[in-house]
Amino acid sequence: MRVLALIINRMLWLVPTLVGLMVITFTISHIIPADPIAFFAGENATPEQIEALRVRYGFDKPLYIQLMNYLIGVTNGDLGISIYTQRPISEDLLSRLPATMELTFMAVFFSTLVGIPLGVFAAIYRNSFLDHFLRILTVSGLAIASFWLAILFQLLFAMELQITPLQGRIDGWGPEKITGFFILDSLLVADWESLQSAFSHLILPTLTLAFPAMATIVRFTRAGVLDAINSNYVLYEQAMGLPSKVIIWKYVLRNALIGTVTQIGLIFGILIAGAVVVEAVFDWPGLGLYAVEAIMNSDYNAIMGFTLVTGAFFIIVNLIVDILHGIIDPRTQD
Amino acid sequence: MKHFKTFKALMLSVALTAMSLVGIPTDGMAKSKFVFANSSPYDTLDPHVIYDVGRVASRLNMYDGLMRWLDNPPKLTPWLAESYNISADGKTYTFKLRKGATFHDGSPVEAKDVVYSIERILALKKGAFSLFSKSIEPGSTKAPDSHTVVFNLKTASSIFLATVPAIHVVNSDLLKSKEVNGDWGGVWLSKNEAGSGSFELTRYDPAIGFQAKRYADHFMGWGDKYLDEIEFRTVKEINSRVLGLMNGDFHGTDGYLPQDQVKRLKADGNMYVLEEESMRIFYSIIHNGRKPFDDVNLRKALSHAFDYDSFIDNILSGSVARNPVPVPNNIWGNPKGEKGYTFDLEKAKAYLAKVKGPIPEITIGALTGYGQTEQAAALLQNGLSKIGVKSKIVSEPWSVASKKMRDEQQMYDMLWLWRSTYYADPNNWVGEMYACDQVGARNNSWYCDPEVDKLLMEARVEPDQAKRAANYEKAAKMVTDDAGGIFVYNTKWFGPYNKKVKGVRFSPIGNAQEMRWVHME
Repeated sequence: MRVLALIINRMLWLVPTLVGLMVITFTISHIIPADPIAFFAGENATPEQIEALRVRYGFDKPLYIQLMNYLIGVTNGDLGISIYTQRPISEDLLSRLPATMELTFMAVFFSTLVGIPLGVFAAIYRNSFLDHFLRILTVSGLAIASFWLAILFQLLFAMELQITPLQGRIDGWGPEKITGFFILDSLLVADWESLQSAFSHLILPTLTLAFPAMATIVRFTRAGVLDAINSNYVLYEQAMGLPSKVIIWKYVLRNALIGTVTQIGLIFGILIAGAVVVEAVFDWPGLGLYAVEAIMNSDYNAIMGFTLVTGAFFIIVNLIVDILHGIIDPRTQD
Repeated sequence: MKHFKTFKALMLSVALTAMSLVGIPTDGMAKSKFVFANSSPYDTLDPHVIYDVGRVASRLNMYDGLMRWLDNPPKLTPWLAESYNISADGKTYTFKLRKGATFHDGSPVEAKDVVYSIERILALKKGAFSLFSKSIEPGSTKAPDSHTVVFNLKTASSIFLATVPAIHVVNSDLLKSKEVNGDWGGVWLSKNEAGSGSFELTRYDPAIGFQAKRYADHFMGWGDKYLDEIEFRTVKEINSRVLGLMNGDFHGTDGYLPQDQVKRLKADGNMYVLEEESMRIFYSIIHNGRKPFDDVNLRKALSHAFDYDSFIDNILSGSVARNPVPVPNNIWGNPKGEKGYTFDLEKAKAYLAKVKGPIPEITIGALTGYGQTEQAAALLQNGLSKIGVKSKIVSEPWSVASKKMRDEQQMYDMLWLWRSTYYADPNNWVGEMYACDQVGARNNSWYCDPEVDKLLMEARVEPDQAKRAANYEKAAKMVTDDAGGIFVYNTKWFGPYNKKVKGVRFSPIGNAQEMRWVHME
């Protein structure tokens, strides 16, 4: 019941949050001195041609009317038409969303799977060689630029060792489209060749994207475990003669994970932003590349659509994190 | 015996299955496929919406026009047209269509399709529209019979023929059936094709690119060497394109890579690099309409303050050709032997001394993401500082710069950029860049000299190419003497290909992306 109330509460906040996000993005994107219509019309366009296009796309109207028209459109499920691609924004976003989501989910999954145990080990063996090594690794993960790491991985694994594909999302054009998630679609249609190809193409972008995320998770888990390990209840469990493995992995970790889970929620947002660079290097046909193109072309509707989708996604992920919080630590539901 | 036959059939089917699993073609012929890594995304396939060189592959390979530019220097060649006739007054162009050309659905290419195509361009007001907006009235193009098209121009034009290749002919019956709310089939055509070109679309994903197979019934016919399939993929990162080429994932990529990458590819045993002088001049606009830049002495001082040799030889490693005038070296109408300006600070100071009044801080514009424009701006700033002129560099994205370029007040004092080939006629360069009727549109210098303008206007209607060439040569020389801009180089194209790729034909209009000539060995 408490969980349901939390969901309803967050959903009610979703609308004003997204409206606020849209107003801010709309204002920022429209006040920069760019002219997407002139840009789209091309360097050979005449002033009459540019003006005719401006009228056609409604850019001749005052800014507040443009904003109102946009908001009315959004409430009707219409995100507008891309000036540049000439297609509905929703269609463009939907065709690219699965690629980014697949990559982001894999990166979060991998960084969590590796990061949490490493964080625990770093805490258990604090100030040991392992802890120092992990410290260097995590600082590197946070400090190394993604594009540099991506190129390094390409040179080593794809060019030198030739054990992974260099770029792209899959060999050829992928399995029959059902969800757009290649791994899921390959499984659904039992296309094992595509499944293998999709996995192999995911390796390098996932590693690149997951490395800084993993570093954050290791650091937070380590701090959480160290904090919990000095608690009275741990002393009590040790006095009761419980095996240390049970104490650490069952009781300490549960308490230590509260901060880590919050971080994982935030990491989702950071990874979507980070995916822009990784998608560019690995030629990954996702939302990141689309957003870059939209910004460079001042394609207002596309910028708004991207912001709206990622904003909504970020809010939903954080809602899930809050629910998980409640499950891990029921006291937070009070 | 019966068991043996059964066993043989079983073994054959197992072998065929195994071959298909490992990718060995079972039809006896290995299909050749060419994969190109392109820097620009194929956002749309509609040939009447886009008109940039970056996405030319979809237009050249899936569509035909009445005429086509081939080779370098480009030759205007009849394509879907068998012949053409120009009336004595230069206002009526009659094209006879060749018989036997068919669209990919098998229907014949007819005059009504050409008429529909030009009307569609005029209605959509996008892509190549600006080439025809002033010369063709909607509804004025006629099809007296199924194989004759008559263009009735508003005024005589000697450049119309050069722009005809931009009219990509679409299947009018097919598009009419796909129209929604009077969109001329726009939504459908952005993801599909309705052409008669050498290749027909098989797959398209805006996020990835497109794939097309050879159209066996193309009117040009095919020799014994050709490509069965072509694939153009979007790969934004230069390094990824280069590594992909070296890795064998791609067979070709764009010919305007940085020189360090070209050298890297030349050194690779599996690659070769084709070199051609293109028609894309690099220059700086000078705002002639703003004081004190309306003083020729200041413009000449600026022209002498730029270190041309250092820019070409050191920064660009000699990978371009000096082009001192506003017409490319390799097209008629270029005044041969014109030396232009040299880096000479003493001359610059002497001209500067003749300028009346104070010289304000000069704003030098550059394009974000286009390193050369920023390097040129920095080099000019260095030269200017040595003659005591203050300047600041403003680097902005093309979407911002393109807006400012059209506004006399917002335009930078100077702006570094390129002028590409939209049609191979000197009018594309000096004829548009310095004509008075193009001020604020394609003339972003606000340069308007009555004598130069007279030469350019005459050349636009004069049918005799020799006379036109003389006018353009004279006009280009006059603009250069006037230091209307700082003209630096003409681009060279370095097309990297896998050694298996043969038969590439380069034309500055298509950048060697028409694949019907290519085959794999």
